[in-house]
Amino acid sequence: MEKFRTKVKRRIAISSGMAFIAMVLGGINIYSIIITDHSSATHSDGFVAGFQFGLIVSIFGLAVFDIIKLSLAINDETKLRILYNKEHDERLIAIRNKAGAPMIVITSIMMIIAAIIAGYFNIIVFYTLIVAVAAQLLVSAMVKLYCMKTM
Amino acid sequence: MKTRIKELRKERKLSQEELALAVGTTRQTITSIEVGKYTASLVLAYKIAHFFGLTIEEVFDFSELNEF
Repeated sequence: MEKFRTKVKRRIAISSGMAFIAMVLGGINIYSIIITDHSSATHSDGFVAGFQFGLIVSIFGLAVFDIIKLSLAINDETKLRILYNKEHDERLIAIRNKAGAPMIVITSIMMIIAAIIAGYFNIIVFYTLIVAVAAQLLVSAMVKLYCMKTM
Repeated sequence: MKTRIKELRKERKLSQEELALAVGTTRQTITSIEVGKYTASLVLAYKIAHFFGLTIEEVFDFSELNEF
């Protein structure tokens, strides 16, 4: 369990770093929105910028949630044991595998990065990639829900 | 697969949560095994049987496997 405790501490540090980076990026994003000349900006420009800001806020929110959850677990032996069991539970691992984890998450992140880059050149590619990510995450979530009910 | 987990748990006045914590799994997995939705792996089956001080065959009913 000490090994897992060290792992949790490392994850808290990573989440703190992610929250900090998201905060800095969010600040830059707000600053760029303020200094942008809105008279020449198109609807697409606003959508890509809005999507990026939404993504940054989501990353920040998830990182903070993770920090709180892990900090509570690390100070309580039972909660830490429950967290360990949840992460190493064979049934949940089988369900995650059936739902496509971790490849769905990895490809989704790569597609979102690609969409943001493509958004600066072609908005159609941006929309296509975002819809593809949403569709694959939805299918994965539905498979996971189905397996949770049947397994 | 049929099991005697629920019966053994009741005898020892244990909750699913307590058993799950003791054998390193989740309450939901214990529920699934008890109702026969999920078949435990050999390792988990051993842990559960060992926890009750019994053999795997005494906890899990393998008779259905012989029906072809």
